Amino acid sequence: MPYKIIRYICLKYLHKGGYSVEHVDQVCLSLRKEYGKCVKMAGLLGRPDMLFIFDAGEVERVFRGEDGAPHRPSMPSLNYYKHTLRKNFFGEEKDCAGVIAVHGDSWAAFRTKVSRVALSTGAAAQYTEQVGDVADAFINRVREIRNSKSETPDDFLNEVHKWSLESLGLIALDTRLGCFESCEGSESQRLIDAVNTFFLCVGELELRTPWWRIYPTAMFKKYVAALDTILSVTLSHVERALQECKDNSSKSLLQDLVTAAGPRVAAVAALDMFLVGIDTTSNAVASTLYQLSKRPEVQEKLYKEITGVLQGRPLKAGDVSQMPYLKACIKEVLRMYPVVIGNGRQLTKDTVICGYNIPKGTQVIFQHYVMGNSDEYFSNASEFRPERWLNRSTYKHHPFASLPFGFGKRMCLGRRFAELEMHIIICKMVNAFRMEYHHEPLEYHVHPMYTPNGPIRIKLIDR
Amino acid sequence: MHHSRKNKKKRNPIVIISILKIRDLESFSTNLGERFWVKVTFHLFDGRKLEAEGKVGDSLLDVVVNNDLDIDGYGACEGTVTCSTCHVVLKQKDFDRLPEEAGDEERDMLDLAYGLTDTSRLGCQVILTKDLDGLEVKVPESVNDARS
Ligand code: HEM
Ligand code: FES
Repeated sequence: MPYKIIRYICLKYLHKGGYSVEHVDQVCLSLRKEYGKCVKMAGLLGRPDMLFIFDAGEVERVFRGEDGAPHRPSMPSLNYYKHTLRKNFFGEEKDCAGVIAVHGDSWAAFRTKVSRVALSTGAAAQYTEQVGDVADAFINRVREIRNSKSETPDDFLNEVHKWSLESLGLIALDTRLGCFESCEGSESQRLIDAVNTFFLCVGELELRTPWWRIYPTAMFKKYVAALDTILSVTLSHVERALQECKDNSSKSLLQDLVTAAGPRVAAVAALDMFLVGIDTTSNAVASTLYQLSKRPEVQEKLYKEITGVLQGRPLKAGDVSQMPYLKACIKEVLRMYPVVIGNGRQLTKDTVICGYNIPKGTQVIFQHYVMGNSDEYFSNASEFRPERWLNRSTYKHHPFASLPFGFGKRMCLGRRFAELEMHIIICKMVNAFRMEYHHEPLEYHVHPMYTPNGPIRIKLIDR
Repeated sequence: MHHSRKNKKKRNPIVIISILKIRDLESFSTNLGERFWVKVTFHLFDGRKLEAEGKVGDSLLDVVVNNDLDIDGYGACEGTVTCSTCHVVLKQKDFDRLPEEAGDEERDMLDLAYGLTDTSRLGCQVILTKDLDGLEVKVPESVNDARS
């Protein structure tokens, strides 16, 4: 039998509106159970065929076989924005369209200009203190907004979004946006609103019937206006950085980018980072805080590690590398609850996968949520055990089963920054509070990040 | 310090290139006085032996790139520690005398290297020093080689 063709499942689960989309995680688990490690979805209306891979060894082979410009399927609404609606801007200079929704040579050329600056080891560490300041501001803020039971308010996730945006503003734009005390009409507020609007719209546009392809719906217009705002704000900051660059040497990511690749590249890189770097990080942090709040013993171990390194002084660059358990906790959360539940590639050549010859153009989806939670790849997969990342020989572990940031030439461009931000905020939260959770356990849903569904009400007890 | 004037004069060009790569700065400064060349031999899994020279401060990946060494797929991510295709295996004694241990980013990526050993490193993170002259490393086969 060549494939297990399961057209009816996709129709049933994937095209039926709100409920199903949020539970793609469950759908994928049951697909794996029913159909095995390699499942093809064919006959999807207006889409290329999809191949779900639940086999870490095959994921490894696909990744290792990648050519010079791996193609990650991108959101049609963004493709349309960059390459049709605003093609004058993104197409004006050669290879200046960014990395998101860009493919082939144009992607490779842009990525090369940016990746050395963004990903080189140590690129992020220079931000330790500033990102630490933002984390301190966040902690002050949550102290203020705790309710009478000392619990985080129902819109806690939104506060975490603000923290994430503030941190990224610092990294991508050299600017403290002032998200925690934003005032109406300010540029920061416009950016914050635009980013929020973008997130609200993008899910709707991508996951529901794409009427916007036929005519500009109200939702689509809001979406475009939000993208325009993000772009114009990033451009204005880049101009300022350009001025400041003249008399300064390497001081920040933005200045390095402007110097190495020019203002246009720097602005587009910042735009792309805003598009994918905010809700990923904030949902990962919210999820980690929630998981820790249910595990006092893990928190105690963390607290010991952190206080042992800090000895009462403020956090500085390099400290986090002395905190292996902290890093392991975050890896463990992202194994069990990866914010991006699956990553993918559109094959740029015919490829043999699970013994089948899969034609070029097929979208392959690596099912990291399912693989990360499978006993086949991680011993006692259903148990939260950060130790497995420290003591690899005692625990079974397949490195390609859990890849929260992807792999290879097209790996997450913001990984160093995301990790720095997460390590610092978790470190500081654990250091500041004992966290407890006294409500019904939360289910996770795909929204479109994989995140706890419901108010994250964590009791914060000052240490 | 009586050197200070001299140092200051020499620092200007470093400032410019440091924008691109911190490591360049190190190699540049170690090479201010004299230029040290270090010999490296790459033993490929198919039995080929490639000899090349690199400057102090270069990475093994720089040596491969600058000398146009024919190692299929080596250094796909251009040294940004996202791919592990620059994997090399060292002799224990060389592994032990490398001036810097693998950092966290490198260790995470090494975990994903094909045919990982106890003396594996990522070539893009191994920086040549004077002491390493004559270094010999093994370039393990990749999964693609193993398949064909
Ligand atoms: C916990 C936080 C984050 C997670 C889990 C995450 C995850 C990912 C994943 C899975 C990919 C696809 C990689 C691949 O195709 O192999 C990706 C791509 C990307 N990420 Fe992240 N990310 C996070 C935070 C960030 C941040 C903070 C930034 C920006 C500062 C960022 C910028 C990007 C960019 C620009 C790409 C596209 C790279 C390309 O296509 O060349 N990400 N991310
Ligand atoms: S060149 Fe990609 S990790 Fe070294």
